[in-house]
Amino acid sequence: MRYLRLYGHFFTAQLKVMMEYRLDFLVGVFSVVLIQFTSVFFVKVVFDQIQSLNGWSFYEVLFIYGIASTGRSIHHIFFDNLWTIGWQYIRNGEFDRFLIRPVNPLFHVIANRVQQDGFGQLAIGLILLLTAISHLSIVWTVGKVLLLIVMILSSGAVFVAVNLFFATLSFWMVDSLPIVVGVFQVAEFARYPLTIFSKEIRGLLTWVIPYGFTAFYPASAFIEHSGYQSVALLTPVVAVVSCWIAYWFWGKGLRAYTSTGS
Amino acid sequence: MIRAYYEIAKSQVKLDFAYGAWFWSSMVSSILQMLVLFYFWRAVYANGPSELHGYKLDDMITYMVVASMIGGYTNGAGGKLAEDIRGGLVAIELMRPYDQLSKLVALDLGGKFGYFLRNTVPILVLAFLFFHINLPPSWGAAAMFPLSTALGVLIGAQFDLLVGIMAFYTVNIWGLRVLRDAVLLFFTGQLVPVMLFPEWLQSVNRFLPFQSMVYVPVSIYTGALRGAEAWVQVGIQAAWLLGVFLLVRWTWSRAMRKVTIFGG
Amino acid sequence: MIDVQNLSKQYQIAKRDPGLAGAVKSLFSRKYETKQAVQDISFQIQKGEMVGYIGANGAGKSTTIKMLSGILTPSSGVVRVNGIVPYENRRRNASQIGAVFGQRTQLFWDIPIRESYHLLKHIYQVPETEFQQRLEMFTDVLDLGPLLGIPVRQMSLGQKMRAELAAAFLHNPAVVFLDEPTIGLDVAVKDRIRAFIREMNRQQETTVILTTHDMQDIEEICNRIIIIDGGKILYDGALQAIKERFGDKRTIHFDLEKNDGFTIPYALATRVEQVVSHREAAGKSNSISLSFNNAEITAAEVISEMMQAYTIRDLTIDEVHIEQIVKDIYERGL
Ligand SMILES: Nc1ncnc2c1ncn2[C@@H]1O[C@H](COP(=O)(O)OP(=O)(O)OP(=O)(O)O)[C@@H](O)[C@H]1O
Ligand SMILES: [Mg+2]
Repeated sequence: MRYLRLYGHFFTAQLKVMMEYRLDFLVGVFSVVLIQFTSVFFVKVVFDQIQSLNGWSFYEVLFIYGIASTGRSIHHIFFDNLWTIGWQYIRNGEFDRFLIRPVNPLFHVIANRVQQDGFGQLAIGLILLLTAISHLSIVWTVGKVLLLIVMILSSGAVFVAVNLFFATLSFWMVDSLPIVVGVFQVAEFARYPLTIFSKEIRGLLTWVIPYGFTAFYPASAFIEHSGYQSVALLTPVVAVVSCWIAYWFWGKGLRAYTSTGS
Repeated sequence: MIRAYYEIAKSQVKLDFAYGAWFWSSMVSSILQMLVLFYFWRAVYANGPSELHGYKLDDMITYMVVASMIGGYTNGAGGKLAEDIRGGLVAIELMRPYDQLSKLVALDLGGKFGYFLRNTVPILVLAFLFFHINLPPSWGAAAMFPLSTALGVLIGAQFDLLVGIMAFYTVNIWGLRVLRDAVLLFFTGQLVPVMLFPEWLQSVNRFLPFQSMVYVPVSIYTGALRGAEAWVQVGIQAAWLLGVFLLVRWTWSRAMRKVTIFGG
Repeated sequence: MIDVQNLSKQYQIAKRDPGLAGAVKSLFSRKYETKQAVQDISFQIQKGEMVGYIGANGAGKSTTIKMLSGILTPSSGVVRVNGIVPYENRRRNASQIGAVFGQRTQLFWDIPIRESYHLLKHIYQVPETEFQQRLEMFTDVLDLGPLLGIPVRQMSLGQKMRAELAAAFLHNPAVVFLDEPTIGLDVAVKDRIRAFIREMNRQQETTVILTTHDMQDIEEICNRIIIIDGGKILYDGALQAIKERFGDKRTIHFDLEKNDGFTIPYALATRVEQVVSHREAAGKSNSISLSFNNAEITAAEVISEMMQAYTIRDLTIDEVHIEQIVKDIYERGL
């Protein structure tokens, strides 16, 4: 509760800064729109040549995309600072200042930044979701709407957990950004029906880097012929477990940092 | 003078090697991405026609592998430049006895050498052993490919500097860099093969420098571009390189005037 | 207040062979070298003490401070600050300490410092009235008024350091660690900062631990010094005591009207020694520097003897600098 209030204070301070960089704000939002457009266009171009991808229609794939984008936007808006822990704080020793403050250092890192283009991402995610839903014949009940919200939150949580996990490597290797970026790129492709990949890759995206639970599995809960409706319901569990593992790992990283001092 | 730039490039190679974990992780993640691409296209072909615009599955895989291989080189020293600008280093560097932009290009080439070892080599091994990608159709194509690739990479490096210079005007260029990544990923043909673009977009793209960075060298490799047509495209690449280079110099000198007059 | 017992810290440093070949080799295997940064040190500091922690570059000062503030975990030994073990109970320790680390900022880079202070108020849970009072006082003593609306990003070093200092004291910490707080500052700003630290110590009995290479800082702020070298404590005690012990060596520089064959006046001959100072080295041939022991002869005596023998245009007396003392200890031991 205290942290929530504290986050509020951080947030307003950040907003004031943001207003000073309005141009960067606009460019940021615009590029996010463009990136999203690029990947949707990619799908469109491919679907111009085929009717379905392993049984998934264009709008069903778009639905997966929508969940991924919305979930990712949660991560993007609130947790974006995780990306750059290495070069922003650890490389130059700036991280020390979080250690002499009476708040959780992880909270401090996270609260230190609000990524404005995340809002653009959120908007696009919602647009994609609505477009897809209007072309799909899903019967919407209150329960399903709630389920969708839970799924999206879980998707965001999985993104956060994976990023936190790999960002934590910075404590040992100074800057893990290349790994974080590399892993994040894998998420792009977790937005397609997982069935197109080989067993090993499916396993990787399910058990090792659970990006499958950021888009494909949660979407499957709503698509009857997906064949993954029951696995889909595990999404919130996976989210909680992966957050727990990532936080545990973070704790280990922190201890390593305070004993090696760099 | 050349010697100095050579040493600068070498220092960057050493720096890259110094971060051991960096090296291995970058290698693994590039292999991973390649695998994902491979499966994606396999699934597309399994669901659709056996040929897309004359590209069979193995042609498409060849295209994607070579394209993402070259695509990895389309970045440059713009990020470093922007950092220097923001940190005020640019003014200090003005006192050094070398040309800053050339120094950055040298650093960048050093970085690319490391990139070649940790990304290109493993991708090539993977591609030939497991994906069975095609070889260039002729000796001519094989000879022309490195030339065209070099031109493409240099265009990319200059273009990146151009984005970096923008930091003089906008302070924060993170947004701009993301934008650049998006534009390049798309228009160079790295993500979506240019021949799959709708007709109007292909025509627009013909007037942009981006397809010179990746699409042209890849097409020479696959044999889609050959003979006189290929030479014309290489000429266009050279023209773009010159154009972007001059543009970079021009904006740089303007920005420098601003720095020396207004103190950054 | 602070209790340090048998504290040690080793760093592991990856060794690499020179050249590109070495760089490639380091990808596959690495050798580590152990660097003993702090070695078995112990000391106690009482509430309200102001301690100068000094030593050459790389002596282990920052390493010690990091362990005291909870940023580093010791390899062995125990630290207690106000009864709390900093590296085990970091957050609890954090609310009772303040810190300034050299040129590294604790404030938020992009945010006007007024906002920064406001955030810090919430982070440290400082009651509003206390916060207002303190901020007002800091603004006054450190002359922060014109700076409050500016982000750290746009400040000069001296402005930044003042802002920084206020941030470190905002939650009225029991202990403050200052790691080179005056590095790179001009005399006026240094004075202001020193006055501020003294004032805080007087009002709040704040315990201060200060590392610095500026001996003026030590002389004006501290009543006790701990000298560390190669990770070990060389000296721990009152500043006055060490001054008395070593600080008896003085030098006077004379500017003579003319200098043809200078010899030391007979009355001084056994007690005074001519030394070559930087003035002579700089080619001022009319300069003479005499060094003597304050216990054997006073400065007044030396000057009056010299004035009888020569025509003196100007003279300067070197202050007793603790810097010299420390150097002597480094070179000769206690
Ligand atoms: N993170 C680190 N990793 C490895 N070695 C370190 C690290 N930090 C410090 N050292 C080494 O430990 C020793 C003590 O360093 P420390 O920073 O404590 O010195 P210092 O007394 O603060 O010096 P200075 O006056 O230069 O600030 C030095 O030899 C230094 O090289
Ligand atoms: Mg130090």
